[in-house]
Amino acid sequence: METIEVTLARELGMNPALGPLAAAFGPVLIFRDMRRQSAPGWQGPLPPVDAESFSGGRPLLPEAGFQYPAEGFQEAALALIRVLRNSFPGLAGELAALEAAMAGGRIAPDTLWAAAFGRDAAVEGVEPRTLAFVAAEAARPFVARQAEDLLAAARELPWPGSVCPVCGGAPHMSVLRKIGAGEDFITAHGGKRFLRCSCCAAEWTHKRVSCPTCGCEEPDELVVLRDPERPFERVDACKRCKRYLLCLDSAELVSVPPADAAALVMAPLEAKAVARGFRPLATHVWSGLVG
Amino acid sequence: MPKAFFIDTTKCTACRGCQVGCKEWKDFPAVPTKQRGTHQNPPDLTHFNFKLVRFAEHMDTQGKVTWNFFPDQCRHCLEAPCKSGASLPDSIVIDKDTGAVIYTEKTAKENFETIRSSCPYDIPRLNPKTKRIVKCDMCIDRVKKNMLPMCVKSCAMGAMHFGDRADILARAAKRLVAVQKEFPKAQLCDMESVSVIYLIADAPAKYHKFAVADAAGAPGMTRQDFLAGMFEPLRRAAKQIQG
Repeated sequence: METIEVTLARELGMNPALGPLAAAFGPVLIFRDMRRQSAPGWQGPLPPVDAESFSGGRPLLPEAGFQYPAEGFQEAALALIRVLRNSFPGLAGELAALEAAMAGGRIAPDTLWAAAFGRDAAVEGVEPRTLAFVAAEAARPFVARQAEDLLAAARELPWPGSVCPVCGGAPHMSVLRKIGAGEDFITAHGGKRFLRCSCCAAEWTHKRVSCPTCGCEEPDELVVLRDPERPFERVDACKRCKRYLLCLDSAELVSVPPADAAALVMAPLEAKAVARGFRPLATHVWSGLVG
Repeated sequence: MPKAFFIDTTKCTACRGCQVGCKEWKDFPAVPTKQRGTHQNPPDLTHFNFKLVRFAEHMDTQGKVTWNFFPDQCRHCLEAPCKSGASLPDSIVIDKDTGAVIYTEKTAKENFETIRSSCPYDIPRLNPKTKRIVKCDMCIDRVKKNMLPMCVKSCAMGAMHFGDRADILARAAKRLVAVQKEFPKAQLCDMESVSVIYLIADAPAKYHKFAVADAAGAPGMTRQDFLAGMFEPLRRAAKQIQG
């Protein structure tokens, strides 16, 4: 897989109009990826997996959710604020207020963590939406890293759902991936469809010709939006429920881009879907700017 | 980063998806053909067939018949003798990012026989209408957009692979070891000098006359070196005449 920097550099060369989006969100994606790699993962024994329950559609995590990473979360959040200050100059004042509040102990790291999952938190001088955004982005790498460990525990079990098998989150993207080549047998090398969680970035398989929201499989009701010049990208939309999902066909590509970077460069397609009246199943952080 | 192909003929079923996919991407017309008693069609590369699956049938002394398939194409040599044989500096160019050997419109001013004869694999062909010398261009228009060459994309059997040269060499070496367990004569064709590396399970001559670049007999010299050197005087002479 190529790096986010390589993906964005190439795509900007082909479509300079992506410049402002890439300048703002590219560093955020790079931060996510770097921090995910260094995050501690699930600590201690993994939650027991009830195979029957899981195969019946119950996600892995109990109500308590992901583990709060006591070590490293505050430092990661402060590092993120420095990235966001460059990406979103308009938020400079609020970010400074949040940074001061964290340094001064006026918001505890575990309170910030809880804010990432919708718990109430307030910091003077910081809009609730900004606080929620920063908290979610600070938590995301830790959550994604924990999800890797959790999903490994249930990889052999069938998962029937359209929601994330780890945390129950909705998918915001799908990727068609070539299955690893078994050298002993000739196998077709088209891509299996993997849905990708908008919360923890876990991936799970799903039928290709099927709406993950409502289950519609009628060809006349399933819409594919694409740019003929970029056959490896498309939006899968459903006329029945009016939801859409981005899709990257990685089997078409020489180097597979990171999924988040691929989603970012699909912003023009996303805008097309919104313009045609479809809504996302789950959003990316930039989705509010598109369409 | 230089790119390379790995073509595993032990997985090729001669479906010719690659042959057709290439033509479709380049919007080439059909070439009139004739049933000659072989599935190989057309019989050779043409100016509208840059990719050709070659069929070779053999019977050994025990009466066992084998049918070998060889999806022939330009090898995109690391030191392209066709470029050495060219009289103009920019009729044949090497793409610095991928290593693709690209024939430009200026090949129309080159001597076709000189260019064709310089190729150890007999790849270049002449478009009689435009007079351009033509061949596979590694689907450079697709590769520049991070898309697989059309032949690789078309291959339903997983016989064709494309990627960074280092990764492809590693993949080819690993697959060779696996194939040699059943086919001890298996080899990778000219892997040190080309960007399109074929894995064959038997002697090269049982696949295609030009499956490998034979040594021309000159000691310490490959056929590529020999041919490139042989045409250097002709190239210089042509340049003098052209002024």
